[in-house]
Amino acid sequence: MEEQIMQKLKILAESAKYDVSCSSSGASRHNNGRMGNAHAAGICHSWGADGRCISLLKVLFTNKCEYDCEYCVNRRSNDFPRAAFEPDELARLTIEFYRRNYIEGLFLSSAVEISPDHTAEKILECLELLRYKYGFVGYIHAKIIPGVSPEILHKIGLVADRLSVNIELPSSKSLSQLAPQKKPKQIFAPMRQITNTLIEHNSLVGPGTMFKGQKLNTSEHYLGKRPVGFGEDASWFDKGQSESTRFSGSSLPEMWAPEEEYLPAPKRGAFAAAGQTTQMIIGAGGESDKSILTTSENLYHAFKMKRVYYSAYIPTVASPKLPDIHTPVPLAREHRIYQADWLLRFYGFTVSELFQDGSTDLDPDLDPKVTWAIRNLDYFPVEINKASYEQLMRVPGIGDRSAKRIIRQRRYSAVRFDDLKKIGVVVKRAKYFILCCGRYYGDRKFEPELIRHSMLQMENGLQMSMFGADGSLQLGTAEGSSATLTDRPATRALPKKTEKSTTTTQPKHPKKSTTAAHRKEAAV
Amino acid sequence: MRDYIYDGTFDGFLNCVYHHYYTEHANGIFTKDRYQANLLCGYTEVETDVEKADRVYRAIEEKISDYDLRCVYRAFLSSIPNKEMIILKYIVYGFCKGRQVSSLHADSIVNDFQAILKKVSAEAERMLQFVRFSVMEGNILYAEVEPEHDVLELIHTHFCDRFRNEPFIIRDVGRDKAMIAYQRHWYISAFDDGMVPVLSGEEEEYRRLWKTFFDNIAIKERKNLRCQRQFMPQRYWKHLTEMTQLPDSD
Repeated sequence: MEEQIMQKLKILAESAKYDVSCSSSGASRHNNGRMGNAHAAGICHSWGADGRCISLLKVLFTNKCEYDCEYCVNRRSNDFPRAAFEPDELARLTIEFYRRNYIEGLFLSSAVEISPDHTAEKILECLELLRYKYGFVGYIHAKIIPGVSPEILHKIGLVADRLSVNIELPSSKSLSQLAPQKKPKQIFAPMRQITNTLIEHNSLVGPGTMFKGQKLNTSEHYLGKRPVGFGEDASWFDKGQSESTRFSGSSLPEMWAPEEEYLPAPKRGAFAAAGQTTQMIIGAGGESDKSILTTSENLYHAFKMKRVYYSAYIPTVASPKLPDIHTPVPLAREHRIYQADWLLRFYGFTVSELFQDGSTDLDPDLDPKVTWAIRNLDYFPVEINKASYEQLMRVPGIGDRSAKRIIRQRRYSAVRFDDLKKIGVVVKRAKYFILCCGRYYGDRKFEPELIRHSMLQMENGLQMSMFGADGSLQLGTAEGSSATLTDRPATRALPKKTEKSTTTTQPKHPKKSTTAAHRKEAAV
Repeated sequence: MRDYIYDGTFDGFLNCVYHHYYTEHANGIFTKDRYQANLLCGYTEVETDVEKADRVYRAIEEKISDYDLRCVYRAFLSSIPNKEMIILKYIVYGFCKGRQVSSLHADSIVNDFQAILKKVSAEAERMLQFVRFSVMEGNILYAEVEPEHDVLELIHTHFCDRFRNEPFIIRDVGRDKAMIAYQRHWYISAFDDGMVPVLSGEEEEYRRLWKTFFDNIAIKERKNLRCQRQFMPQRYWKHLTEMTQLPDSD
């Protein structure tokens, strides 16, 4: 018996590990059942050998899959050990782990066994056992499989804290190529249903501080008949795409029309209190950073998702449609995209600002915030003692925490240059872009190339010291792995100018942004 | 100027603050075991007088703020050697500046104080992450921790709510005391090896299951031990089930 569970856990954790999200944030709840509560900021309990946090028991319900998505380890055509949990077995395991304080709750995803509805019913059964039989009050993140019926989705939402539908690929083109059984409509329909139900429950919050101060739980944010938010440049709406693959009113079942579904003020927080998220694979299709981030921005605006997660594509199966199996994992690229994503959600940037000069990819050598600042020197230098919160947030080296501290201190006394370090500003980065009591402290002339140069030098020194001789971070920069991504220039994945510059693209904390949703990077 | 020696309690420390104002300015404040006689100034052993402590306590609350009072207490729980003087300076400065004192982040007095405060709060947060319970006979949850700062009493709200129907014990091994709680009632008491309950039969099995999960959830292509250590410092590993070697099953 024990051996059997051990085997299942091994196989189903192994299969679930490519799901990125592991946050337990967004829900705050006292113990109103038998065991557990939810901490608003989320709690990470451990960190795996890959440096990713472990907050939830992340497993698949089953990895027996009907689908044959090219990029996935669990694809039908992959010869691979298969297993499935029994609902009660998994519920008990969750409780036992939870009371030992190993985890914050359960992250339950699944391969598609028989049909999406069949699988979703199993998931629902397990989650209901956990909530109602065992009285579990901890966190539950449930993955919604595209194509699931709205009734089952609703029931899952009533027991889960967070729901996520994986968009998987940043454009419909790569979706149809790599995951032919998944249709855009099947992905967007549940996303839309979740957002609408959240509005009905008066609990839609939106990503980061993007919609701060705005009322989101109103009928104008309700996703009705028109496709909302997806502009012309979004690759999901490529010209020539047939009408049926867009999610438009005509293709939706009757019951999602707002008139019929509008229930009289349901209890706040009863449905997916922590909102919805999604996940995208980086480097499997040929999309540019710009199109990936544009898709995210659209998702944030249309569905008010809490987060979009990114996962660098790790070649697991050989396929002619995918990057070569020896392709290095684009961790550095993933890191830059996460940084940019943070700029969208917390720093008030837009995608078009990040790609102003017509480029389609982020600068691999520099933080996107620094890149933006160097391109927009006319915006700088800003006077620390006068700038607004929004202006301060745009200065490289200043984050939410230090901006707020500056503003708080300003009420009582002027902020001097020497104070900045104590306040938590990364002075060596910020000094090029600020004035303090009218004086400029950057050691170079105020010119883009010079600033860029000294920034790069600084990053170099920083990165060199962070990546010692042990080379624990394998980005595949070793010689011999000359394979490149299908549509991408070799320099992007393998920056090989000198040995020194190779290290510059390696992220400091490749997984920092996913380790905990609540952990804002103090100063990007 | 003179040195004050107190009994290590918060009340004792508040008495030192009292004497700093009403007797003589403090040159240093020490617990008895830490004190080394000083040639430049004399020392006084401060008697812990609850009434005087109470006066200082209320003065901080009224003249600075109740927020700062809580901060002072939190900072006092730290194990930083010269914490007493850092806190005293903050209180003195707070009496001049009033409630704005906590906003003056750049001031060195405030900065030093907030630095220890941050350490204590970070440690308390880490306890929520890294406490690992074992299920003992009689369904008692038992955990051992070795926090650097004395944060045991800062974590009761979280665990008492979460495990309100389970009796649990969190033992601070280094300080020989433990928090014992059941159904939202809790107390802290002395605790030693002889009081540890017996491990339940299935505990080893769940430890192995957890370790299996832990080992299989990591993506080996993304191995990054440096990052792992950064978030999960090595000094906590001793009490983390997943980071210790488990006996083989047989």
